[in-house]
Amino acid sequence: MRGRMNAGLLVGGVLVGMVVLAALVSFFWTPHDPTLVDAAGKLREPGDGYLLGADKFGRDTFSQLMVGARTTLYVGIVAVGIAAVVGTPLGMAAGMTPRGWLSELIMRVNDLVFAFPALLLAVMLGAVYGAGTLTAMIAIGVATVPAFARVARAATLQVMVTDYVLAARAAGRRRPAIAFRHVLPNIGSVLIVQASVSFAIAILAEAALSFLGFGTRPPTPSWGRMLQESQELLFSTPRLALWPGLAIALAVLGFNLLGDGLRDFLDPKLRRIRAEG
Amino acid sequence: MLKVDGLTVRAGSVELVHDVSFAIGPGERVGLIGESGSGKSLTALSLMGLLPEGVAASGTARLGDRDLVGVPESRIKELRGREMSMVFQEPMTALNPLMRVGAQVAEVMTLHGRARREARARAVELLERVRLSEPAQIARAYPHQLSGGQRQRVMLAIALANEPGLLICDEPTTALDVTVQKQMLELIAEVAPALLFITHDLAVVASVCERVLVMYGGRVVESGPIREVFARPRHRYTEGLLAASKLTPRGTRLPTISGSVPPAGRFPDGCVFRNRCPHATPACETAPELTGDGHAFACWHPAD
Amino acid sequence: MTLYLLKRLAVLLASTAVAAVVVFAFMALLPGDPAEIALGVNATPEAVAELRRQFGTDRAPVAQFLDWAGGLLQGDFGTSYVTTAPVGPQIADRLGVTAVLVLGGMILALVIAVPLGTFAAVHHRNLLGAAISAVSQVGIAIPAFLAGILLVFVFAVQAQALPSGGYVPISENPAEWLRSLLLPWSSLGLVQGAVLTRYVRSAVLDVMREDYLRTARAKGRGSTGALWRHGLRNASIPVVTVLGLQLATLLVGAVVVERVFVVPGLGDLLLNGVAQRDLLLVQGVVMVLVAAVLLINFVVDVAYHLLDPRLR
Repeated sequence: MRGRMNAGLLVGGVLVGMVVLAALVSFFWTPHDPTLVDAAGKLREPGDGYLLGADKFGRDTFSQLMVGARTTLYVGIVAVGIAAVVGTPLGMAAGMTPRGWLSELIMRVNDLVFAFPALLLAVMLGAVYGAGTLTAMIAIGVATVPAFARVARAATLQVMVTDYVLAARAAGRRRPAIAFRHVLPNIGSVLIVQASVSFAIAILAEAALSFLGFGTRPPTPSWGRMLQESQELLFSTPRLALWPGLAIALAVLGFNLLGDGLRDFLDPKLRRIRAEG
Repeated sequence: MLKVDGLTVRAGSVELVHDVSFAIGPGERVGLIGESGSGKSLTALSLMGLLPEGVAASGTARLGDRDLVGVPESRIKELRGREMSMVFQEPMTALNPLMRVGAQVAEVMTLHGRARREARARAVELLERVRLSEPAQIARAYPHQLSGGQRQRVMLAIALANEPGLLICDEPTTALDVTVQKQMLELIAEVAPALLFITHDLAVVASVCERVLVMYGGRVVESGPIREVFARPRHRYTEGLLAASKLTPRGTRLPTISGSVPPAGRFPDGCVFRNRCPHATPACETAPELTGDGHAFACWHPAD
Repeated sequence: MTLYLLKRLAVLLASTAVAAVVVFAFMALLPGDPAEIALGVNATPEAVAELRRQFGTDRAPVAQFLDWAGGLLQGDFGTSYVTTAPVGPQIADRLGVTAVLVLGGMILALVIAVPLGTFAAVHHRNLLGAAISAVSQVGIAIPAFLAGILLVFVFAVQAQALPSGGYVPISENPAEWLRSLLLPWSSLGLVQGAVLTRYVRSAVLDVMREDYLRTARAKGRGSTGALWRHGLRNASIPVVTVLGLQLATLLVGAVVVERVFVVPGLGDLLLNGVAQRDLLLVQGVVMVLVAAVLLINFVVDVAYHLLDPRLR
């Protein structure tokens, strides 16, 4: 145990745990079929087996939230996965050759990608290929690469000047060996923190895209689209906006707290390297 | 001029400085020596009213007829930089990186009522007085363009700007190169009014001060004229400190004080040094008073 | 400094040029023939070929790009294949609305974050300071469009004090213009303010531990005076960096918030363009937004260098 349990880690862990649990359980069981249109149960009030009521198509809100958690996690995992798999090696390469042309090139391309926010990428992809979960995931993933690359680079720069790396280099170890033996294990905790923070941002991006109709397509439930569908009913049935809104906010809060908590828990020394949004 | 009586510094329930009393006359130069953790810096900071958050001082300290301890910040800040000044240990971080050096020197004068233009002009004079060559150019520079030694001279210029009666220096040369150290010490000795000089370095004290206070475990354990204390230390801690600093012939073992300084709040009752003292007896379980005229010490079994 | 400025300017121009290539390659070279789309499935090949010639899409991609990019330099974004209206004036019309929305949101965020973050830092040991941190943490978790929906619920549905959407040009009725923008500004500003508050807090906390603040107090300043005179400018350096990132985020946030409040800005134009498959329009709007982000980064970098003499 390197660190101490802290409140952020605990609260964040519980919130994230709830989202994961809801998603897992939804594979086997939901109170009702979340996509079942039921004209008779239109805008059904909460109660009587419908814990949070039903929407304008009679679909059970609670079931939709559960499956929506699955969508959210799915998009987040793939997007953060893309960002980590692409961004980490690039950042490490830039950090291990700080004055070389490679580093310069990587950081310039990084800056350029940075000018294309996830939403614009998703809109461009959507305009050409038609929008869907896949384009949303790719767009969010690509847009998150620069944050990973920057953090990986900053952490690598720190590791490269430590005595053990200097000793390994003096002993004539080759760069790939140093990267795998020394750099990667030592920047691992920073990357985990970054993953958590990026996950929170990916959830926000997915929600925004689904809200705009560039994310998950109907009938697959998604928190962002639930919000969008509820907007016209805000005057009559505000609860339809309340629940998905709360789900998004709590999930994002959970991943943010988890990220902060992990940073303190895993390695207080690396606190100086801030996860990027 | 400065009279400190029963100064005690606490962080919560932990006592960091206990019942320290001393006085500094006009123009007198007093050294305050001790290892890190002895409470010497806290003593100085409490005089300036600059104790860190959560640390509080009690007792009395008077500069002339003004109280320094237990008064609100609004009262003591009028004295800081005017009646008393302080030079800190770390010159690299003590200056604002975004402000030109001249402006930082002038600030201490405008703060205490001098006109801006006059302050600017005098800032250059002060930089010259602390022996910085090309003072006008230095005044226009930013701190990162200066060396550590130059920055410490700037700090000294700031401290001297309003001709305070008392200068407090907290390890002002520790962070400097050895060659620069010597010049800095000579300068301080030359320009200082009354001086409270804090250091862990006995040789430095000997070269600058007339009188010395030895602190250990938050207490003054010995005080007196520097020659007397150094030639004939009475407290066993002072004795050990001096022995450890003497040049020893090749081949002999350097004498050291056994053990190490306990963390704050973990010093023994009675004589704070007794757990490391080779001469400790059961009598040392009662705290000894600091007694003696001129050369005073707090020890049940003094050296002779 | 001049050298740096020139170098940075060159980087800005180069990255904008590269961005233009990327946007063009993305939008113009990928599947879908605008002429076929415009004429529908029943068009004769001759008619399609004729329209292609009119659009200029029968030429080599490089020629098309140079044509488009050359037009951009003169403010000509081309003519829509769908509506046959020139794209440039449409963008120009909407740009102002989005700019006002984003800048208003940013100002609101600053007005919230600077005092609150500073206060939270100064009082980081007591309950109120901790409470501010906690509230800002929650604020970060709320996306701008959700904040918008909440605000509509409170101020339009419940209190019925403000319009739930729509936009009135300032030239028509300044008071209504202000009322129509209050909720969109708040949606962007509150959320970004929450994010910024955390950064301001940590920047001020870092500065409060600096030795030069103690020096300032040793000169005779009180702790507040020292922080004011020596601390805030130092703390502003990391905050300016974040501010740049945030402006980019706000620009994107504005696209969504425009949709929530039916504000006719660039975001609205962009989404309509996508809905109508008006690729040239989408291409133009995306280019403007990307260029804006690059320009913001440029301004931030220069501001950073102006603030910090160590970098000059």
